[in-house]
Amino acid sequence: MTSARGRRERLLWGAGSVLVVCYALVPVAWLLSLSLKRGADLGDHRFLPAVVSLEHYRAVFQDPQFAAALWNSVGIAGLSTLAALLPGLLAAYAIVRLEFPGRRLLLAATLAIAMFPPVSIVGPLFDLWRSLGLYDTWPGLILPYMTFTLPLAIWTLSAFLRDIPWELEKAARVDGATPMQALLRIILPLAAPGVFSAAILVFLFAWNDFLFAISLTSTDNARTVPAAIAFFTGSSRFEQPTGSIAAASVVVTLPVVLVVLLFQRRIVAGLTAGAVKG
Amino acid sequence: MAAIELREVSRQFGATRAVDCVNLSIDDGEFFILVGPSGCGKSTLLNMIVGLETLSSGEILVDGERVDELDPRDRDMAMVFQSYAIYPHMSVRENLAFPLRLARLPAADIDERVLRAARMLELEALLERRPAALSGGQRQRVAMGRALVREPRVFLLDEPLSNLDARLRVQMRAQIARLQRRLGTTTVYVTHDQTEAMTLGQRIAVMRRGKLVQTGTPQQLYARPADLFVAGFIGSPAMNFLPSRLAGERLELPVGSLALPERLRGAAAGAAGPLVAGFRPEDLRLAASGETTGLCFDARADIVEWLGADLFVYFDVALDGFGPLELPADLDIQTGDATRRSLVARIDPDAGVKAGDRFRLCLDPQRLHLFAGGRAIGDPAGLQR
Ligand SMILES: Nc1ncnc2c1ncn2[C@@H]1O[C@H](COP(=O)(O)OP(=O)(O)OP(=O)(O)O)[C@@H](O)[C@H]1O
Ligand SMILES: [Mg+2]
Repeated sequence: MTSARGRRERLLWGAGSVLVVCYALVPVAWLLSLSLKRGADLGDHRFLPAVVSLEHYRAVFQDPQFAAALWNSVGIAGLSTLAALLPGLLAAYAIVRLEFPGRRLLLAATLAIAMFPPVSIVGPLFDLWRSLGLYDTWPGLILPYMTFTLPLAIWTLSAFLRDIPWELEKAARVDGATPMQALLRIILPLAAPGVFSAAILVFLFAWNDFLFAISLTSTDNARTVPAAIAFFTGSSRFEQPTGSIAAASVVVTLPVVLVVLLFQRRIVAGLTAGAVKG
Repeated sequence: MAAIELREVSRQFGATRAVDCVNLSIDDGEFFILVGPSGCGKSTLLNMIVGLETLSSGEILVDGERVDELDPRDRDMAMVFQSYAIYPHMSVRENLAFPLRLARLPAADIDERVLRAARMLELEALLERRPAALSGGQRQRVAMGRALVREPRVFLLDEPLSNLDARLRVQMRAQIARLQRRLGTTTVYVTHDQTEAMTLGQRIAVMRRGKLVQTGTPQQLYARPADLFVAGFIGSPAMNFLPSRLAGERLELPVGSLALPERLRGAAAGAAGPLVAGFRPEDLRLAASGETTGLCFDARADIVEWLGADLFVYFDVALDGFGPLELPADLDIQTGDATRRSLVARIDPDAGVKAGDRFRLCLDPQRLHLFAGGRAIGDPAGLQR
């Protein structure tokens, strides 16, 4: 009786999981399949490629535009991560450890910034960047990425810093450390998981962003992969560049998937830190 | 080596006055205890000495030089925290070496000093362990070791034993006392446990609500408490208190009356406010048959605690005709209620008193403490033992 019920429950759970996984994975599988089809087979209405071919990958990597975009993506996302984490760490540290007027206001304000819809500032930013000479440059993208990920970094890091006993830092000060040494040699190593999670979250934001990338760049100077993909052209004007787009998408998705799989524990810990253990 | 002097040191936190105008001098090489109930400002005072907390006013001098403006690392003091504050990501060896690394000592020196401290505290076998793999007592020793390696001018310890179980605490207490005597370093030790204070310190300062109430040797505090608070705080079980009033040259208590000794007479006559009589459990003794010297009265044993060498008998006294007794609320003494008070006597275990038994006790008037308006009055000289 109970075992029959248990089996039915397991079956339902299993079916549900399969359904959700399919729902999530079918588009990705479709993308992968497209990227592996020959150009001529793209419209063949088949789920699996008839002949596996790497011609689109070859084409994508031969395209100097894509190579430049990939370099831009790696560089801009990496630098944005650094640019957001350094002030984020110091700000989180101050918010957690120091008693100063406006502390709560500051936290609330960071949250407010995080809720600000990026699309509402893209227009003015475009004009501003043109007149400041930041349009189509790395700093032109790093700055908005840093701004929009800083709240995330501050919140994640402060959740982690809050859990580190203050007495450790006091002990370091008495042991002869400067405030900076205490932060770097005692607090930072203990907050490493938090720094990791924050770094991954910031990196993913910058890596995946399309809106700023498409609006604030115009050439290979600073165009990142998501934007570059939108500018792919077919080999003739009558041919859709579907295969190349698919191949390029797979190429940029792969590192993200790898990073998330490798660090998923950390990310989850980062997102929930401070939620349970107060 | 260093002598510490605190001059009118105060610390304000918003509306709370955590430390209120403390004057104190601690001699070179002294083992000095700061004791008081929770929240009285002991940690705040210690943190101000070491430089983790700023002063609202006043000054701190070490060997005659002002240090209260100095950064903690320029004060050459080491501190042991209640939570030990061992760095969890470093091995025991790295923990001990940390202060020396910061001081940029040569590597060979560091190794040697770490080894010496480890040997002193029997940590040699644990040097490569992480703090997570240590027991509470071992962590405590690592924290001590990290203070020792620097050979500082001053040791500051903030309730270093309060996270240990009772047995280990007694063991570590003895070890700390031995270490301090061997090194001769000026030590300030904070505790809220009066037993620890009495057993460890050369001198004790009792704090209450941010103020220093009384400073002295354990014997002085025990024999001549300056006020009701110190009288009730020092000693275990606590001193017995009863309301009392003057009738000519005699003092009336709920259990009877006694002739006031000379040393108390003048002060009692001039005292303002209600009088409180105090006497320690050991100042009561079983009456010999037919004895009438001093104040003798009958009691019924309520609870009997036998501790091997001692027998503590708790009994109730009715306060008929006397007002209720006002004691400092932060003393946490079990007071009974407005009409009854529970007292305790320490008597000879061989007397064989059991719960429910009736027995007769006598109080030697020479042992009596008298308080008016919370302060001790009269000449306590007769109390020296
Ligand atoms: N940073 C602070 N901000 C506000 N109030 C504080 C702060 N630190 C201490 N206090 C207050 O100052 C008073 C003294 O605190 P302190 O920690 O010195 O007490 P303590 O004697 O060490 O007590 P315990 O035995 O519990 O450790 C307390 O009332 C406390 O609430
Ligand atoms: Mg304290």
